[in-house]
Amino acid sequence: MFPLNRKYLTTAAMAAGAILHAFAGARANDVVTLGASVQLTGSSANTGRYYKDAYQFAIDKIDAAGGVKVGGKTYKLALKILDNQSNVNLSVRQYVQLVSADKVDFLLGPFASNFALSDSSVSEKYRVPMVQGGGASSEIFTRGYNYVFGTLPAADDYFASTIDMLAKLGIKGKKVALVVADDSFDASVAKGTRQHLLDAGTTIAVDRTYRSGAADFSTILTEVKAADVDAILWSGHETEALNFIRQMQSLNVNPKSFYGFTVGVPTEDFRRALGKSADYAFGMTPWLPDAKLKDRWFGDAAAFAKDYQAKFGYAPDYHAASAIADVETFAIALERAGSLDPKAVRDAIAGVSFDSVYATVKYGTNGQIALPQVVVQVQGGKLVPVFTDHFVGKALFPIPAWDKRP
Amino acid sequence: MMNKKTSIAAAIAVALLASVPLFGSDVVVQFGIDALSMATLAQAWNLMGGFTGYPSFGNSVFYGLGAYGTAIAMTKFGMPFGVGLAAGVAAATSCAALVGLPILRLRGPYFAIATLGVNGAMAEIVSNLRIAGADVGLVLPLTRNDASFYELSLALLVFCTGCVAWAATSRFGMGLVAIREDEAAASTMGVNATLYKVAAFVLAAAFTAVAGGIHAYWSTFIDPASAFDSTLNVRMVIMCVFGGPGTVFGPVVGSFILSAIYEVLAAQISTAAALLFGVVIVVAVIFMPKGLADLVQQAPGVGWRYFVRNIRENGI
Repeated sequence: MFPLNRKYLTTAAMAAGAILHAFAGARANDVVTLGASVQLTGSSANTGRYYKDAYQFAIDKIDAAGGVKVGGKTYKLALKILDNQSNVNLSVRQYVQLVSADKVDFLLGPFASNFALSDSSVSEKYRVPMVQGGGASSEIFTRGYNYVFGTLPAADDYFASTIDMLAKLGIKGKKVALVVADDSFDASVAKGTRQHLLDAGTTIAVDRTYRSGAADFSTILTEVKAADVDAILWSGHETEALNFIRQMQSLNVNPKSFYGFTVGVPTEDFRRALGKSADYAFGMTPWLPDAKLKDRWFGDAAAFAKDYQAKFGYAPDYHAASAIADVETFAIALERAGSLDPKAVRDAIAGVSFDSVYATVKYGTNGQIALPQVVVQVQGGKLVPVFTDHFVGKALFPIPAWDKRP
Repeated sequence: MMNKKTSIAAAIAVALLASVPLFGSDVVVQFGIDALSMATLAQAWNLMGGFTGYPSFGNSVFYGLGAYGTAIAMTKFGMPFGVGLAAGVAAATSCAALVGLPILRLRGPYFAIATLGVNGAMAEIVSNLRIAGADVGLVLPLTRNDASFYELSLALLVFCTGCVAWAATSRFGMGLVAIREDEAAASTMGVNATLYKVAAFVLAAAFTAVAGGIHAYWSTFIDPASAFDSTLNVRMVIMCVFGGPGTVFGPVVGSFILSAIYEVLAAQISTAAALLFGVVIVVAVIFMPKGLADLVQQAPGVGWRYFVRNIRENGI
């Protein structure tokens, strides 16, 4: 049925040749290569860029300071980065390529929980340590894997500090609406938040999940309005947060005292897109560019944020800081391990404890960092840190109704 | 249809493919698993879209059900992988029968539209099922044996293609083709159209489900978004149509070639990969709308005039 004609053979040979070519790789002698497959194009590219830029920035900085001393020998760090085009299947293949063909020494992570979940199975399969700063879902760390470490705090506890603050402001016995997206990460957030809300003695009057990427929240908002809740806790993605707030305003939905978001609020884009409507919105971030966060290579977080802005032309957020911590974890762990053996480095990572621009980095037994979320609020167009485990700033509370604002 | 020469060529191809894990790198094996299962999906789609003329845009629902059936049986009930696959196939085939009976009465675009909805609806249902891990998804145990996943995927493709080859020459397959050409006439001639269509749909669902189950165990994690990925439908249609719908080997060769092209583009020029992949498809549809199989049979005799003729027939 298929007389193998020349045209067909040439095409096949060309394809095969190109694949083999792409898979060939080599390893230089005094270089330790960190590999990652990140969303550089596609739907998540906007956040993926933080990882690419921050990985490179940290590696350049460490190399400029002389590299890493491993058992008496000095190594430079290098980065091998691939573009997974926001496609999970492709990213898994690229991680296999990184460890098996490109022979990278260790792995850095992709962005987003669903990617980290799939990609970390490659690091576990090949027993190559992966430190990832893009996935927070608890599923990543409850599988009993030994080779994956994470620098984002647990999704379950994203709202913990917020609810802690609300408890101090008298949320007990009040009604709360919980609105979350349906992806793996946000489902983790919802699961933890429900428990925290019950522990704080509140009633969850509305508990709604929406499809990721939804643009219309009018049904949910009508329900929230009818339930006459005191607070709205919202978890999803940045674009959806913008739509949610715009529609809250146009439908004049006013919780009695509070609304807070897992994402969006800390970014400059958020405040620019919403203008005055961004005011009073509560949000959270595990990281702020605070000069109190000291770092061996960058000095401190404030200086890091300034250098980063100057170098890449946009301000870093916690994704970038978390990515820096991932690279530094390897630098510190390699020095501790005194060898390039994956198993030894893995054990060294499990035992690190160091200060960085991101936080004091220290991994729990499950491999995940424990970090409190700082509650932040937009006040007069500025982002103000409000609460960690105590008040660090003044909260504008309760939030005034849309039609009662100046 | 299957003459001696073809059988020998096919056997050699299978033997070569089977030996890939022996000398191929891990990356090639990894790529192979994806390409083989994509070919199986295209081949299964071929049964409905190619032979019967009912273009389904809902086959990914069977993939998802296969993945979830396997994952639930393995993680929630501690069953072995084989039982999991069987559970996935059972779920997918019963879904195909249940959904097929009403919507296979629709023809042409109406059928395509109806199948479009099934996938989204099932993703919604699964994301509300606690036993399926709801929105969070399910984590399967890790195995370090990619070579056996590869051989399993290959075996599935061979079996699926074997079934299609059998169908192509059997009374069953002739019935499907008769339905494609003229359903009313086929019914008049005594073909039980409803039975044939549902049988083909169920058969396609079974193969698709096994591919989904293998993928679930191999990738160790599934959630509704990855299991019920609607772009998968588009890919199986493109690969089947590129290779030659209604032929035995067209979809397989077509999907191998497209998978390889995509892989090369993704590795070499990632930013433009999706764009160039789109261009390949547009060009293929314009110049060879009947697929590779037709090109290989017709073009050697007429050369470049083959493409000119196709463009004329397209009415461009």
